[in-house]
Amino acid sequence: MRAILAVVKRLLASNKISFIITAVVTVCATSSGETVLSNGNYTWLLAVLSPFFFVFYDFSKLIHLGASKRDYYLGCLAAYALLALGISLANTAIHLVIDPAYQARTVINLMDVCRWTENGIIAAALQQACFLLLVMIFLHVLLSMQAHWYGWLTDAVLVAVICVFTPIAPLRSVLAGFFGLIMLNGNALVHTAVCLMLSAALALAGLWVLKRKTL
Amino acid sequence: MIELRQVTKRYGQAAVLKNITMTVGEPGIYCLLGRNGAGKTTLLKSIAGYQDITDGSITVGGRAISTAAMDTGVSYIENFARHFNLPVRKLLKIASEVNPEYDYDFASEMMERFELDGRKKFNHLSLGMKTMVSTIICLASNREVILLDEPVLGFDAIMRVEFYDMLAESFEKHPRIIIVSTHIIEEIAKTIEKLIIIDRGSILFFDTLRAVETKAFSVSGLQSAVEAATQGLKVIGQDTLGGLVTRYIFDRPPEPAAQIEICPLSLQDFFIQMVGHKGGGKR
Repeated sequence: MRAILAVVKRLLASNKISFIITAVVTVCATSSGETVLSNGNYTWLLAVLSPFFFVFYDFSKLIHLGASKRDYYLGCLAAYALLALGISLANTAIHLVIDPAYQARTVINLMDVCRWTENGIIAAALQQACFLLLVMIFLHVLLSMQAHWYGWLTDAVLVAVICVFTPIAPLRSVLAGFFGLIMLNGNALVHTAVCLMLSAALALAGLWVLKRKTL
Repeated sequence: MIELRQVTKRYGQAAVLKNITMTVGEPGIYCLLGRNGAGKTTLLKSIAGYQDITDGSITVGGRAISTAAMDTGVSYIENFARHFNLPVRKLLKIASEVNPEYDYDFASEMMERFELDGRKKFNHLSLGMKTMVSTIICLASNREVILLDEPVLGFDAIMRVEFYDMLAESFEKHPRIIIVSTHIIEEIAKTIEKLIIIDRGSILFFDTLRAVETKAFSVSGLQSAVEAATQGLKVIGQDTLGGLVTRYIFDRPPEPAAQIEICPLSLQDFFIQMVGHKGGGKR
């Protein structure tokens, strides 16, 4: 357990660039007009950037320091959970405190767009955290595969799915249904359950990929 | 214990390890010798579970080793290993946190002895100092198997002597299997117990250093006398200069005779004869 906590600590400490970029974008982003984007939306950037560092920067260095693959992976999952909660809390706080400051203007926060706030702010924060956890684990698995042929195949399949499913109406509705389930979902229970189950499935897939990872 | 059973590693069509079967049973300091491209790093990385082999099996302490092993019990450090760009003392501290078996006191003591500036960041160290940090981390890990790939690269003569002392002390403190791959043969001879020679992906020799000392000789003299003296003995090489012949043997010492000169082979000469002068001067 001590080793996993040490890995989490190191992963977060070496993720400074992601924190700085996210903070700068969140603070500096401005919108004009009647409808403005909430600055809280930009906190999601941290969820997109972190897996890049965990996969491409931290893995080999932690292994060279004597960490086991098991501790590295559990540490990554724990760090993603912490980051998901942290980002969700930050966006929720911005939504509650800063967004109302834009008087007489419509402020778009993704928590509203995804209909999570329909269930109250606490449920919305939880839903957001579960969704962000899913995004980070998905990115971690996808990035870990890039050194192998199946990573490129997955990239091609994902691009093909988007390209084929978007223009064809019946397939588009399938794609919309999927995103409706994992993202634009007002049902808190179903949404969190789906996100957590998909996260668990992806974490298992990530374990399979890690077991094939060379140094 | 390390067990390799019919281990083959291919990169495309090229076989880098060829059907290696070997058991490293007892704790000790082992030296892995081989020419460039002989397969040393591939062998060590395979034992560490850093890469998969094509055929065969590797076990360490009964555990099957491959990239799928989540905790191998092996500590491997390659030359030019990259670390977080943090002060050396902090790196050693993190290593102690991520590895429960880590001997932080040993690492700190070695840091002091090698006059490593604990406040200096890793990327600001010289090549030799970087290698030393990696080696200290590896030795302090206290895993049952320690693999050091060219650890003295970039060391000056004094650092190399200190390194061999550190190796011996570390082993004395925690007896375990330590395999060191190196090209500087004679220097490490005082420290090691067993020798592994690999050439073109095959293990040519795996025995004690004592065996080399007691069985490896050069026999020089007139051709007929040398041939008579070495008849029935295992000849590993031969040089001819005019009418004089030198045969290199690995066997019992030949009977002394008036027309021949018998000399024990140095470890380096033994290695050169074993791998057969390939790419060297005219024979």
